[in-house]
Amino acid sequence: MSSAGRFRLPLALPRVERAEDDRAIAGVCVGIARAVDVDVTFVRLSFAFLAFASGAGIVAYVGAWSLLPAPGETQPVRRRRIVGLVLIVWAAILALRGLGITESLLWPLALVGAGAVLLSGRTFGLDERRARLGAFALVVVGVVIFVGHNTRGTATTLLAPGAVAIALLLVLVPWAWRLTREREAERAARIRTEERADFAARVHDSVLQTLTLIQKQPADARKLARRQERELRAWLYPAGEPTAVGTVADAVESTAAEIEELYGARVEVVRTGDAPLDERLQALVLAGREAMANAARHAGVDEVSVFLDVGDGGVALYVRDRGAGFDPDAVAADRRGLADSIRGRMERVGGTAAIESVPGQGTEVELRLHA
Amino acid sequence: MSRSGGTGLAGAGAGPVSVMLRRVVLVDDHDLFRAGVRAGLGRTVDVVGEAGTVADAVPLIKELDPDVVLLDVHLPDGGGQAVIVQVAPERPGVKFLALSVSDAAEDVIGVIRAGARGYVTKAISGEELTDAVHRTADGDAVFSPRLAGFVLDAFRSGDPVADPDLDQLTAREREVLQLIARGYRYKEIAARLHLSSRTVESHVSAVLRKLQLSNRNELTRWAAERRLI
Repeated sequence: MSSAGRFRLPLALPRVERAEDDRAIAGVCVGIARAVDVDVTFVRLSFAFLAFASGAGIVAYVGAWSLLPAPGETQPVRRRRIVGLVLIVWAAILALRGLGITESLLWPLALVGAGAVLLSGRTFGLDERRARLGAFALVVVGVVIFVGHNTRGTATTLLAPGAVAIALLLVLVPWAWRLTREREAERAARIRTEERADFAARVHDSVLQTLTLIQKQPADARKLARRQERELRAWLYPAGEPTAVGTVADAVESTAAEIEELYGARVEVVRTGDAPLDERLQALVLAGREAMANAARHAGVDEVSVFLDVGDGGVALYVRDRGAGFDPDAVAADRRGLADSIRGRMERVGGTAAIESVPGQGTEVELRLHA
Repeated sequence: MSRSGGTGLAGAGAGPVSVMLRRVVLVDDHDLFRAGVRAGLGRTVDVVGEAGTVADAVPLIKELDPDVVLLDVHLPDGGGQAVIVQVAPERPGVKFLALSVSDAAEDVIGVIRAGARGYVTKAISGEELTDAVHRTADGDAVFSPRLAGFVLDAFRSGDPVADPDLDQLTAREREVLQLIARGYRYKEIAARLHLSSRTVESHVSAVLRKLQLSNRNELTRWAAERRLI
């Protein structure tokens, strides 16, 4: 599982830092421009325009100056933050007034907004219950002010239900949001627990059993350990294991596993490419099996190397050991394996088998099918 | 296939060649495995230090300045790649050989691209590992059969997504890699292809360089998709 989606408030802003380079006054505009990735001229013009709204731009600038951290600083001191916030709120009020929006809308909005922020999980150090109560109080006061203002004057009473609905929305949305987040976290935790249980069961069934078996039958330790290794790999790296049943790589891998089981030698399979298994490839795999079995049985080694190369030109399978070796010309007639199971099989499907062996140095069987 | 007596290989049949003593640092988080490696390494390899974490390994390697670091791909605090990245700029003479039980191609490609001179699986015999340490110390590349198969696959010719910038393998390099994949050792490859061991080594080093330098995302993507070398 990827880390259970850490959830960020929709209100969370990108981190803004005052800039030290390129700045005109305090680097506020440059900092904002960088954080939201717009041209700095645009930000500067915005502040300049806002300055016409009863000086809101200037107040906002000073507020931001106070509020934003200098480069490298994590956060300005508390007093500066408070001053900054107050200035920015003041600027907002110035700006809204400039737009013709009066207190009758402004204060209720601010109060309800603050309530919503509290409810969305940012409790500013308050405990949960108090935060909820506080939020509720804020929203109620906001709605009451709004309704009071607008019913007293020219506005119609129809506004009141609308205001209540908006306030409710503002309260309910963050609450629902938080609930979803909690449920997601719960689900992630449950999945983790299930995965753990699955893992434990897996380890118990396989690894622990094998370890017990090894203690009981130390003579088979190698074989048991190897089988366990295969199983564990298949489980840990499923994507890499033989892609699909019915491909030549899959067949070679399982043949190798079979030989390991039968003779206790380690069969290392290296492969490039893959192809669906057909009759000819089946014959190649069976011939390869015979070669692997011969190596494991007669070579007196504990490792056999197998290389399967599936390319455009055809398929080649190499089985190599560094064991006793033999003289291919002097193979006794009773060693039917080489002649029939390997050569005969390959020739019947139009392939070739080459056997190279030097007594004392090892053997390599090369099986080839042309495309 | 004839086997003439020894160049620097510690393989069976190598005569009493005078071999330098190599100073090695072992980095692996399993004590048991470290003990096993130490016991398996020949007398020509001197384990001068051991570490189990990235945090311990980095200062230790910088202090000891060994010839070779045997490096586990998986470490609890960052992996072998992190060790290479932190040590290599300051100690360019130190060579890294990655050891792993992992079959995940992305791990292998990661550690090779970080600068490891080779990659061998932990199932390797002590004798072969000793040989690999010497080759690494000599500046050669060490490819296990699996790594060779993996590289052949990654550089597969006629790949429809083949990157034109990618250095393709030469026919000779491909041939050498195929023999490694088949389980041949360098000396055996040299004999088979009628080359000197040096030439075989330089082919493998060239492949390693292509692997490290080719700036292809595709290689990484391929590795991630494939997961198994």
